[in-house]
Amino acid sequence: MRTWRERIGRAVPRGLGKPLGILRGKLNPVAVYRRNPSFWKETGTAYLYLLPALVILTVFIFYPFFDAFRISLFKWGLLPPRPYVGFANYTYIFHDKYFWRSLWHTFYYVIITVPVTLFLAILVASLLNKGLRFLSFSRTSFFLSYISPIVAIAMVWRWMYNANYGLLNYLLSLLNKIPFVHIQPIDWLNNPDYALPAVIILSVWHYVGYQAIILLAGMQNIEQQYYDAAKVDGATGFQAWRRVTIPLLTPQLFFVFIMSLIGSFKVFTEVNVMLMGPGPLRSAETIVYYILRSSGRIDGATQHLGRAAAASVVLFGIIFALTIFQMTVTQRKVHYQ
Amino acid sequence: MRSRRSEVSYTARQRSYRLLLYVLMLVGCVIMLLPFFWMLTTSVKTEAGAMRMPPQWIPAKLHWENYAVAWGMAPFGRYFFNSFFVSITSTIGEVITTILAAYAFAKMRFFGKNVLFAILLGTLMIPGEMLLVPNYVTLTRLGWLDHYEALIIPWMVSVFGIFLLRQFFRSIPDELWDAARIDGCPRGRYLWRVVVPLSKPAVLTVALFKFLGSWNAYQWVLMMTNTESMRTVPVGLATFSSDIGTAYHLLMAASVMAILPILILFFFTQKQFIQGIARTGIK
Repeated sequence: MRTWRERIGRAVPRGLGKPLGILRGKLNPVAVYRRNPSFWKETGTAYLYLLPALVILTVFIFYPFFDAFRISLFKWGLLPPRPYVGFANYTYIFHDKYFWRSLWHTFYYVIITVPVTLFLAILVASLLNKGLRFLSFSRTSFFLSYISPIVAIAMVWRWMYNANYGLLNYLLSLLNKIPFVHIQPIDWLNNPDYALPAVIILSVWHYVGYQAIILLAGMQNIEQQYYDAAKVDGATGFQAWRRVTIPLLTPQLFFVFIMSLIGSFKVFTEVNVMLMGPGPLRSAETIVYYILRSSGRIDGATQHLGRAAAASVVLFGIIFALTIFQMTVTQRKVHYQ
Repeated sequence: MRSRRSEVSYTARQRSYRLLLYVLMLVGCVIMLLPFFWMLTTSVKTEAGAMRMPPQWIPAKLHWENYAVAWGMAPFGRYFFNSFFVSITSTIGEVITTILAAYAFAKMRFFGKNVLFAILLGTLMIPGEMLLVPNYVTLTRLGWLDHYEALIIPWMVSVFGIFLLRQFFRSIPDELWDAARIDGCPRGRYLWRVVVPLSKPAVLTVALFKFLGSWNAYQWVLMMTNTESMRTVPVGLATFSSDIGTAYHLLMAASVMAILPILILFFFTQKQFIQGIARTGIK
């Protein structure tokens, strides 16, 4: 071990050595540099490499993250003055029945969409993993919905949901040929009871292929020897699926579950495009819809950026809680390998 | 003898089981493709034909002129130009910033590396929707609202892309850099001439997903633009739909046009796409 004096060399004049020595050269930039010049040169280059990304991240992610909290404390309309109002925006949204409704609609959407999509995705992935022919064709057909622009997708669903001329009601009416079945045409988009379910069906259809592809990749990663072992033990196909595939797939299942949970809380485009607004009687308004509406960007609403920011902070709280939950579970190890 | 019989019946059972699986898969594919088929078939009907009940699966006469009519009813040329311009520039920009940052995190020693990386990880927790309002305020201040800058510059970086590339870069052996250094190759040239070509699949995946996300973006464009001339295809299509009311044949024609570039891209890069998706899940 060298002494601090040896390590920092002649960076510090002798007279000052004693008091500065207490810091052991840790705060003396020259000494710090001299101790390991190549490291600091590399640091300089590295930050040069990081600079473009860091500048954009700082301006458009780090700063606005804190700014959202700040804006939520101001009355912020289209034109100044924009006075500080404390927690008035929070008080306002917590007394706004439409805010609570938007929360409820979002939860309703999430609670149905996430499990149904995941369940169907598991079925689809298992089917695709069966070694059937036409794999690449079926994989592509399941994937097509995910890559297509959601706006265009929402258009065709709106057309299919049309009460009088829509394909869905026509297909449903075919069921009436079965005895004792009487299905009335559903006014999907104008009936407050059906607007949100219509969005849910669209979302399940849109995301199931994406999730299935991830799960399929996970399934294909499971080594054959596990199945061989199961076979030796006399497991049937279903038992092998239940006792080998599903347990070994937990990391992917959990990843897909969390991603879709977090993503579903942010549902907006499907609603705004397919229903051309928040749905009849605002029956499909979601949190993000509420945020954009309060921002005065849609629906011809008045601009209240403070309220929009307050609602954003609430959304962040929900997502943050979910992320913490995810981390706790992940740390307890979701997989068996 | 008995065992043989059971074997035969087992294969027969297995065959019917396989048949069932094929039927299930067919049903699945039909459900997934039906909306696309319906979009396409409606787009070549007349307005009256589209409203016919029971519906026609394939119209007797294909009215391809619907596409020209729809194209002429809104400034789609401008929308497509905007979409291509915004998607291509933000993809190029993102790839450059992401490669640089990912390389620094993967292969360089520097002060504050772990802290910075943890902070970057943390940003993945922030929902983008939370940043809409403050970014709207920032862009207003910068005077970028309703300008291309607002649609491009904030999207020229992707934390997720940095992670993905960093993982990939880490698998490149350090001996390559040592060899390059001995030959007097500067770091920058080594990165672009050696590391990037070696990581082509990962870089391509990052670029593809950026392009896809950028082409399909709706919420951000809706929030940050006001005028027709700044709209991209998705927002333009949504406006078009509220303008034309019930002319669904034209709306479907416009929707097909909006999907087409993505479809073409997908068919050329299918393998990358599917592997990229699979990779995000496995990690």
